[in-house]
Amino acid sequence: MTVATATIKPRRRRMPVTVILGLGLAVVIAAASLLAPYLTPFDPMRMAAGPRLAAPSIAHPFGTDEFGRDLLSRVLTGGRLSLGIGIAAVVSGLVVGGLLGLLAAFAGRAVEAVLLRVVDVLYSFPDTLIALALVAFLGPGIENATLAIAISLVPFYARVTYGLAAAERAKPYIEAARLAGINSGRLVRVHVMPNIGQSLIVMGTLGFSSAILSAAGLSFLGLGVQPPSPEWGAILASGRNYITKAPWILIFPGLAICLTVLSFNLIGDSLRDLVDPRRKGRP
Amino acid sequence: MSQNHRRRHTQRLLAAVAFTTGLGLSIAAAADLTVARAVDADSLDPDKTSTTQSLQMTNLIFDTLLTMSKDGSLHPGLASEWSVSDDGKAYSFTIRDGVKCHDGSTFDAAAAKARVDRAIDPATVNPDRSLWGPITGTSVDGKVLTVSMSEPYSPFPSFLTGIQAGFVCPSSFATADFKPIGTGPFKFVSWTRNDSLQLEANADYKNFNPLIENPGKPHVDTLTFKVIPEAVARMAALRSGEADLVEPSLEETADLKSNSDFKVYAAELSGQQVLAAFSWKIKPLDNPEIRKAIGMAMNRDAYASIAFEGLVNTANCPVAPNLFATDQELCAGWGVKYDPDGAKAIMEAAGYTADKPLKIKLLAHKLAGWDQMHQIMQQDLAAINVQTEIETREVAAHFDHMSGENGRTDGEPFVWTMGMSGVDPDYLNFLWKRPGFVNMGLNEQVDAMVDEQRRLSGEARAAKIHEIEKYLLENAYTVPLVSPGWGWLMASTAKVDGFKLGFMVSLLFNDVTVAE
Amino acid sequence: MLFLISKRVLAAFATVIAVIILSGILIHVVPGDPVTAMMAQSVSATPEAMADMRARLGLDLPVWQQVGLYAWHVLQGDFGRSIRGNESVAWLLLQRLPNTFSLAVCGLTVALAIGIPLGFLAAIKRGRLADTAVMVIAVLGVSIPAFWLGLIMIQVFSLKLGWLPVAGSSWRNIILPALTLGLTYCALVARMTRSALIEVLAEDYIRTARARGLRERQVLLVHALRPALISIVTVVGLVFAYLLGGQVIIENVFSWNGIGRLAVQAMLERDYPMIQGFIVVFATSVVIVSMLIDILYGFLDPRMRQR
Repeated sequence: MTVATATIKPRRRRMPVTVILGLGLAVVIAAASLLAPYLTPFDPMRMAAGPRLAAPSIAHPFGTDEFGRDLLSRVLTGGRLSLGIGIAAVVSGLVVGGLLGLLAAFAGRAVEAVLLRVVDVLYSFPDTLIALALVAFLGPGIENATLAIAISLVPFYARVTYGLAAAERAKPYIEAARLAGINSGRLVRVHVMPNIGQSLIVMGTLGFSSAILSAAGLSFLGLGVQPPSPEWGAILASGRNYITKAPWILIFPGLAICLTVLSFNLIGDSLRDLVDPRRKGRP
Repeated sequence: MSQNHRRRHTQRLLAAVAFTTGLGLSIAAAADLTVARAVDADSLDPDKTSTTQSLQMTNLIFDTLLTMSKDGSLHPGLASEWSVSDDGKAYSFTIRDGVKCHDGSTFDAAAAKARVDRAIDPATVNPDRSLWGPITGTSVDGKVLTVSMSEPYSPFPSFLTGIQAGFVCPSSFATADFKPIGTGPFKFVSWTRNDSLQLEANADYKNFNPLIENPGKPHVDTLTFKVIPEAVARMAALRSGEADLVEPSLEETADLKSNSDFKVYAAELSGQQVLAAFSWKIKPLDNPEIRKAIGMAMNRDAYASIAFEGLVNTANCPVAPNLFATDQELCAGWGVKYDPDGAKAIMEAAGYTADKPLKIKLLAHKLAGWDQMHQIMQQDLAAINVQTEIETREVAAHFDHMSGENGRTDGEPFVWTMGMSGVDPDYLNFLWKRPGFVNMGLNEQVDAMVDEQRRLSGEARAAKIHEIEKYLLENAYTVPLVSPGWGWLMASTAKVDGFKLGFMVSLLFNDVTVAE
Repeated sequence: MLFLISKRVLAAFATVIAVIILSGILIHVVPGDPVTAMMAQSVSATPEAMADMRARLGLDLPVWQQVGLYAWHVLQGDFGRSIRGNESVAWLLLQRLPNTFSLAVCGLTVALAIGIPLGFLAAIKRGRLADTAVMVIAVLGVSIPAFWLGLIMIQVFSLKLGWLPVAGSSWRNIILPALTLGLTYCALVARMTRSALIEVLAEDYIRTARARGLRERQVLLVHALRPALISIVTVVGLVFAYLLGGQVIIENVFSWNGIGRLAVQAMLERDYPMIQGFIVVFATSVVIVSMLIDILYGFLDPRMRQR
């Protein structure tokens, strides 16, 4: 996961080029993955769809792998897996982290102190490490990897949500609502959530790129998605010994990871400055 | 700056860096050899391990009582003479004079007795216990060690030439912590698990192994084994000169063979057989017809030519080719033939359709070629409505896991794969006699047959072994796949000369010289 | 100052305790009975050994007491014994810690050596082409999976050109993994440096200095550099933690013999005491480094010193 950077105030409230670029890239990747069953020329699992280790050609634009499987089909189908893991992990991480963050902000001093301390401790560890540690105990597999990545994102989302909520909490209307006797639960639901929701979604995209990288890394180590599933990291893992003979097995899935992560980083990075509570909170 | 020019420039720059920083390093003497392997030894105690990767190491430290030449005939080793009593129940070995253990103690008949006693002591929990045979007692008379058996055990002398039967010196196990002290060509120096193992030449060594020419101390002074799990990194180590000899990546072996800068070695005497086996205690795999169908779906040609890059052959017997009594044609007649359509018909008749497939696990260990084989196997089985989930473990962990799995009588059924190597078909007994290796033993009938072949010799024994193989294959308790299958390839730089692979892919370094 | 240090040390200690407890709890996440799960992987799983293990782990006690027992053992430096090979986990980890640290430090050095100048350049040329270029490189940098970059480095520098070896532990072997780590994380450093410098450049005293007609170079080197470097120090701690995380994979790609490779091996073999030990040691390293950085920051920053 990347770490917050400082910028001075956003210059213009216009959508930056990078966001448009990132969005465009993301839409293309998402569409290609979603439509994979219709776009793929071959069944991604079918062996001997072409000759073994064939270099990219018209019939096999990304070449074929050691079993003669069509790499384009595998990379596209792999996109569904990688994006699916990313989305599942981000959504569950965001929900759990978000609730914890709101709890810390609105459930009173004691809860705030304890939760914040725990979250800060966890946040100081790299998320790949947390995911790795969890998967070591849960065992490999797509569900366990997703769960581990989701949990590894919780501290980040909890911290961010808390920051946003705490900033919101300080606003006069909240104070007024409180005085009017509205309880915390309702306050959060009706007033706080709508105000910070947008920012949270932006932060969600940041976690997404990190989730994709973690998933690929786990699969590469043999601890995540297992072959023959065409998850990108898993394709890289099983094709790595062909680096000299058939480099395309490594190039295309690797590029797919890079472009996906890049697109979300472009979006997230540019928007983050607008919403990052740690930036806002600074004097 | 032209491309070439720039590269030269960078090279010069790098050379300069290497020169300035390299002063502190001594120039490697020719007598050091660095070997890189994919998997480390599990233990250096031959009575605590049965993995090839471990026994390859112990075989350098420990000698055997007897040795075997290429044609399979027996030769002296630590024992200069041996004989068997007329009833076949007592073996006598005359231990050579003047054999010294690495720590200076004498290796004599009493030491040999202590070693045999330890191997068969139930407290040792020796995974290879059954290979030592039905030993009832040992005795020493002067230079002669006598081993008594409850019944004849004809494969015993062959077993004593193998890498599982290394003779450890009693000082090794005098204390609770095992110390690898033997009489072999190399002395133990240090071992950092999963990193490196250091050995040095035994200056007093006298060789009796007919596969080796050098009569005395190995030509290399030190041997360093490094563990480099990544094949790419291992190949890089070979190409950069970091290692002199490596287990090559299967993917690049063909290229290495055609490159004069490198040499590729392939074991001819591996004695290895790769097998598939079943959870035959669990429905529906208790039905031999279902097991046969699964065997019929397995495209062994593809495993050999694709997964193993054409570097192995399909093999039809439960015992490796070239071992005593192994007859590929006979076995081919007993075993299943590749017939996916026939297999599918059997499965559909049993009620397993594309919508309602049979769900099983495929339990396997990680090794080069095997991972690919399992992926093809998974697709083969999918074609006959058998849906498999592959579960992979590291080698030693896989076998430990299998001990538990093979005991199960309910739960999810599974197919599993393994490899076995030996110098004699007696490993049929080791594998299949109850409880069997990792609890894979079968039944009373098999127990009786695998015991019976031990009492026989010559033609009669061959016939009994064929009977066992026929039983195993016709009932589809196992599907022989390919041979060899692990560690049978090594590659070195061209400056290494004299390296050999012995029985059970033992590594023979005695004759190795390294050119400047 | 002393108060600050003791406060940080105490916090770090508390964090380490928390990590130990967490890794003690994690073994109970493994489905089924932990001893069976552990010993199912071991050849030496005699009933006595299993009973011994049970007693050691206090498995008849309630879970919280078991975790307490584990924490108590760990605090005494006893991480238990590995399932594979039955060796002291603490010893196995300690043996490899120097390798891991030397790689991390080399990787960090590369990251700083590339990242800081780039960040400075971007900040000074803010809004101009150089800035955009640096930031594009930075985003690209954090988007490339380190293990992929590593494989490409091996292919190019080891296999194709034969310049540099991998998989050893001499100084030549460290170059490629350190470069890979450095290149992956220099982007992070560049961005943080840029932000820090931009923040400093917006301060009043810089504006004053400029207004007084000082030359730009003087403003940058004399007035802006020092405070910017102070903020970069905090960044270094953070980058170091992330770098350690990424290093687990890199050690495996290059077969570098650090605790990351040991840990992944243990994970594939399901050697639980080993994994627990890895988590504690790795997390402790991260905690100690960030604590030291915090304290260093206290020394450097006059505002902090007064507290």
